[in-house]
Amino acid sequence: MGPVEHLHMSVFSQSFSPCGRFLAAGNNYGEIAVFSLSSALSPDATELSQTPILTFTAHEGPVFSLFSTDTHLLSAGNGEISAWSWAELIKRNTKAAWTRRPNYKSSLEIPEINAMTVNPTSVLQGHTDYIHCLSVREREGEILSGGEDGAVRIWDYRTGQSVHCIEVYKYEECARPQYGKWISCLTTESDWMLCGGGPSLSLWHLRSMSPTSIFPLSGCQRQANFYQDMILSVGEGQCVSHCLLGGEVKAQIPCTPHSLNTLALNLNSTDNRVLTVGGSSHQIDVFTNLSYRTFSLSF
Amino acid sequence: MGAVTDDEVIRKRLLIDGDGAGDDRRINVLLKSFTKWCNATGSPEEGFTQYQRMLGTLAQCEFSMGKTLLVYDMNLREMENYEKIYTDIEQNITSAHDKISECKKEIQRAKRIRKNRQEYDALAKVIQQHPDRHETLKQLEALDKELQQLSHIKENVEDKLELRKKQFHVLLSTIQELQQTLENDEKSENDDTQESSMENGE
Repeated sequence: MGPVEHLHMSVFSQSFSPCGRFLAAGNNYGEIAVFSLSSALSPDATELSQTPILTFTAHEGPVFSLFSTDTHLLSAGNGEISAWSWAELIKRNTKAAWTRRPNYKSSLEIPEINAMTVNPTSVLQGHTDYIHCLSVREREGEILSGGEDGAVRIWDYRTGQSVHCIEVYKYEECARPQYGKWISCLTTESDWMLCGGGPSLSLWHLRSMSPTSIFPLSGCQRQANFYQDMILSVGEGQCVSHCLLGGEVKAQIPCTPHSLNTLALNLNSTDNRVLTVGGSSHQIDVFTNLSYRTFSLSF
Repeated sequence: MGAVTDDEVIRKRLLIDGDGAGDDRRINVLLKSFTKWCNATGSPEEGFTQYQRMLGTLAQCEFSMGKTLLVYDMNLREMENYEKIYTDIEQNITSAHDKISECKKEIQRAKRIRKNRQEYDALAKVIQQHPDRHETLKQLEALDKELQQLSHIKENVEDKLELRKKQFHVLLSTIQELQQTLENDEKSENDDTQESSMENGE
């Protein structure tokens, strides 16, 4: 991997292992790199511990999405989904457990494992364009999906019917017609939902289906998460934005990549509770304290 | 084992000797001068002065011994003091640790509370945008009343209409009947006159 390729690398997806000690990241060359967090965070970490312990080519196209279940890492590239066993990856064995091609052209996002195991053969139809992001509400048994057509659809996964459809760009306070109507980030927590993309990042109350707060962030947000009493969001700016639920932006923490694609919080382990962000750079920033960047892992 | 303790003894003796070079020498000198004084053959004044000198040296030795004993006591007490301070500090450390974990829990709780408050505020904002429920209820009641009144009036008007219709109907039918009777009368009159003229004609 020459320096030129490093310069053009973008990290599109990240996922933590179920034990919380490893981070897998996927880039636009189709490679997945596994980093050992415990050695990178240990007091005697060196330059070497900030590089991957294993890098392998997983797909021909970019790895747009990674998801971890209790035993496997699922990765999605152009049209195919592969599963890798975490135990094997830790032993540096890069043989895929299985690879499947769902019957549509290109996949950008992996549905969370509940959806895949519960309805492996049913197809939820209703979106008219690409689907960019998915989220699962387990308590109510619903799946939410947001896509290029600007609609957030809520599906009941037992019946496979679309329960609600929210067209975010139709609400004046959220819409930003200069960016478009696509939804690129979606996340839920109990009754609340965050969605953003073309329209501004907004917090919705799902029971009343009404937008409650709009966040004044310039640029399109690509991923957002709820964390304790805050909202963390990354997108087109060179920073991680911390926002309060009321709609104000509390802080914007600068990072190395110029534009961020993915944000991941390691809540599985108590020792390695870090936030990692990756974007249009070969470096992945690691935050041990949310207020500043601690160090960067390098592909 | 024997060699070790010998070394220890030698080391200790060297230390003591090195430290109290004056003391050890003084004792030796005292001993020598005592033996010399015991075997003294000089004058009694010399012997007396020597005796005084020896007493002086003895006093000095006793003084230095007393000093060392006091220093030893002092060291022991300092040690105790330090032990006490050490245990105090350890306790403080553990209590500080406990306080820190308490505070961390407090922070978590406070964050949860803040989150709930913010969610509440956000929802309240949305709710405020909708009109007040009492207002709307009152408006609804007023509208209901109006509706009732109007329907009342409509009923009354309809009743009146019915009544007038019936009255007109009665009027018209009486007129028609009268007309009929008049026609009948006329006809019967004509018939009568015709019959009487026919009778007269025959």
